[in-house]
Amino acid sequence: MQSKSMETDWAAEHLQTIRTLMERSAVYRRALAPILLFAGVLGIIGSLVGSFLDLDSVRSFASMWLATAVVTIGGAFFIARRQAFKDREPFWSPPTRRIAVALAPPLTVGMLLGFIFALENAPELFGPLVFIWAFFYGCAVHSAGFFISRGMRLFGWVFIVSAGVLSFLHEHRGLMINPDALMGFFFGGLHLAYGIYLYITEKGKNAA
Amino acid sequence: MNPEAFLQLDRVIHEKGRLAIMSMLAASPELSFTELRDALGMTDGNLTTHIRTLQESGYISVAKSYQNNRPLTTCSLTTQGRKAFADYVDLLEKIVQQTRKLK
Repeated sequence: MQSKSMETDWAAEHLQTIRTLMERSAVYRRALAPILLFAGVLGIIGSLVGSFLDLDSVRSFASMWLATAVVTIGGAFFIARRQAFKDREPFWSPPTRRIAVALAPPLTVGMLLGFIFALENAPELFGPLVFIWAFFYGCAVHSAGFFISRGMRLFGWVFIVSAGVLSFLHEHRGLMINPDALMGFFFGGLHLAYGIYLYITEKGKNAA
Repeated sequence: MNPEAFLQLDRVIHEKGRLAIMSMLAASPELSFTELRDALGMTDGNLTTHIRTLQESGYISVAKSYQNNRPLTTCSLTTQGRKAFADYVDLLEKIVQQTRKLK
């Protein structure tokens, strides 16, 4: 009986592996480059608007960037949905759900901290807020990378390490950076750079 | 449990690495060598060997081309490969169902 149970487990595990791989494959190509480019452009626009408006309170700064984040997330969902329709795949599929679940905790914590910092409204919180956002965003992307591709995990690490290094330089070496420029670097520049890289190399890099 | 079911499992697909490749390709019209390698975490040599075995069995087709002056290798399931994969999955499901009935 134990042997039969093991046989069932073995076959069931094989089926589950097949299912997981097929789901991962379906997600793999979905709209990653357009979403990254979209997020990057919005990040750059947000940075320019923030610099132009010269937002001098943490509250206005956090509000503008939280609004930008909401628009970015909405746009990303729209792009993914459109791509799913185009490929005749279900949009809210199990892999999409897994990615959303992986992204949710760090993004939620980051946004909540943004609200808390906005309520505190202390000028010294400008720098920490940007680094905290970059750090949590990196964690979110890294988690999602387990369901997309290894490249996304590395991309997450770029955020985490950059935030760590710049935060150290800011706190201990007196590096002064405009918060909007910093947001532009993290959420505009890095997204654009990876999006362009994916866009250009999607086919070209696939040398065997 | 009918032992013949196990014997009927396609030995080419049954190997872990090749099953992973077939599963990925079954869900996508085509995948490049790099996409497969990155998604499955295989080495170039390992992936090349498995691809060759699947190609020799007639289960996948490999297309080589150039993109931006760089070689591009893409893999896709053949009709025969798609049928073999579907048969393999059907057989696995039968094994699971049969064994559960016997429990």
